[in-house]
Amino acid sequence: MSSTELASGPADRDPIELKLEGLAPVRGPQIEGTHSSPIPLKVEAVAMAAAMAAIALITGANVVTRYLTNISLAFTEEFSVALMVIATLLGTSFALARGHHIAIGYFVERFHLRGRVIAEIVGLALVVVGFGITAAYGAWLTWDEYRFDVLSPGMELPQWWLTGCLPLLSLLVIVRGVERMVARSRLIRS
Amino acid sequence: MTATVLFVTFVAMLLGAVPIAVALGLAGTIAIIMAVETPLAVATNVYTCIAKYPLIAIPMFVLVGSVFDRTGVALRLVRFATALVGAGRGALATVSVLVAMVIGGISGSGPATSAAVGQVVTGSMLKDGYPPSFIASTVAAAAATDILIPPSIAFIIYALLVPSVSVPAIFAAGMFPGILAGLAIIVPILVISWLKDFGGKARNSEGLSVWRTFKEAFWGLLAPVVILGGMRFGAFTPTEAAVMAVFYGLFIGFFIYGTLSLRDVYEMLVESGELSAIILIVVALASVFAWATNTLGIVQPIANAIVGLGLGEYGTLALLMIALIIIGMFLDGVSTFLILVPILLPVAKTYGWDLVWFGVILTMKVAIGQFTPPLAVNLMVSCKIASTSMESTIPWVFWMIIAMFMALAMVVVFPGIALWLPHVLGY
Repeated sequence: MSSTELASGPADRDPIELKLEGLAPVRGPQIEGTHSSPIPLKVEAVAMAAAMAAIALITGANVVTRYLTNISLAFTEEFSVALMVIATLLGTSFALARGHHIAIGYFVERFHLRGRVIAEIVGLALVVVGFGITAAYGAWLTWDEYRFDVLSPGMELPQWWLTGCLPLLSLLVIVRGVERMVARSRLIRS
Repeated sequence: MTATVLFVTFVAMLLGAVPIAVALGLAGTIAIIMAVETPLAVATNVYTCIAKYPLIAIPMFVLVGSVFDRTGVALRLVRFATALVGAGRGALATVSVLVAMVIGGISGSGPATSAAVGQVVTGSMLKDGYPPSFIASTVAAAAATDILIPPSIAFIIYALLVPSVSVPAIFAAGMFPGILAGLAIIVPILVISWLKDFGGKARNSEGLSVWRTFKEAFWGLLAPVVILGGMRFGAFTPTEAAVMAVFYGLFIGFFIYGTLSLRDVYEMLVESGELSAIILIVVALASVFAWATNTLGIVQPIANAIVGLGLGEYGTLALLMIALIIIGMFLDGVSTFLILVPILLPVAKTYGWDLVWFGVILTMKVAIGQFTPPLAVNLMVSCKIASTSMESTIPWVFWMIIAMFMALAMVVVFPGIALWLPHVLGY
């Protein structure tokens, strides 16, 4: 598990790698490392897959009921939107752990390995700061909605259930960011 | 002052390989704090900006791409097209372009199409006597038509940013410019193949029968019809059309081709979940940036400055064209739109341009940027598949860029190429 293979770029033809490659010229400095964490990445993967499947099924059910019955499932839109927000944050955390976010790596790639690792650590620190701000103010917003009993417009559920996901999942993103920073700093020390 | 800080921190972070989403969010937050606004707005913005129903179309169209990628539709389309056009000089290269255009009618992103088509055609094109650099150029240029031919994620983002433009309207408007662009790049591909004697080298042609290959490809050819037809007749919203296409793709994969397993379904959900999160987090955090530029009142002065150059209508368009192609070489279409459309809208309004047409023009520019070296996103993918360097593609890709420019110029001069279809369909 502690093997530190240093590859300067992915040479495999994993389809997802290729698509991501295409999303941005180069996604940050590409340095392969090992990922070890008390929270397995599978948590994000499974939850994200479930959310995506649920959105598709809800939307599909909506169409079927609209054409076959008089029942309107329009209120489910709210549910799909909530699932999309959740899936987005889960996916952000998943992609962060795998170093898949869109970034312009063109200039950093010109550095030596040490420079690239340092650039990535600085980038991760900024990710942690960014999501730290989101988490803090998200928590504040959740507290406000809890205090004032804000109800969601469609299903009239407590709005803070959903808003609460924002700080909670932002914390997960922060955890992934810190984990990767630690793994990277080990790389330069060794 | 605040405006300078906003742009300087943003550009510095971008060049330092900080994820684009975070660079946008942090630069925006810093500007908001400097302008002494309450940063609570940051959290509210992030949330409200992606919590929008029309945006669900993005993860669903990404999922459509993943599903069809694994069903093997691309391979069957190539077989059918090969059976049709035969195997002469430049034939297989032409097939790749046509197939990329049909896949463009299913998937919504250029690099994804580049990967899908590249993986299928590269091997057989090599055997047929095309050099790897030419294959990579062809695939990258062909895949660039994908963001014009509906469905297109770039168009969904544009419609989100421009409230007066509906998704079906701009989807319809992209159809003919996309086809025109595809046909335009076939011209240099055929000419080069004839002059350099590329293609037609494979000895044992399988003797594909048109009818047999058509029966297999038929299901794939039907997919764009399901997606676009469903939206056209008002049966589905864009999101619903995407979901219908997902189920249709699963049906083909499981019951017609037998190419899918339950394991594939899980993998495609994870893959598309990650890809859409990568796009949507940029959308979410770009809203902080846009909010900052709006409240600081930076947008109008920039727009005024562009108009104030006094270049006239076509001069300004040419300037935007050059700027966008340069930016398009560094950034993906989604980020380009999120950053630039808010600034360019006032310019478009000054000249009274049709905003649907303007969206198509902008997208065509981004599409050209996607296969213009050195930082072309599509070319990056296709070069990797063909195991060649980007530098080696320059002599071929140059002509394809010129060809697509011609197509762009035609849409600029004859806006009807874009606007006729949405007009006829009554959007």
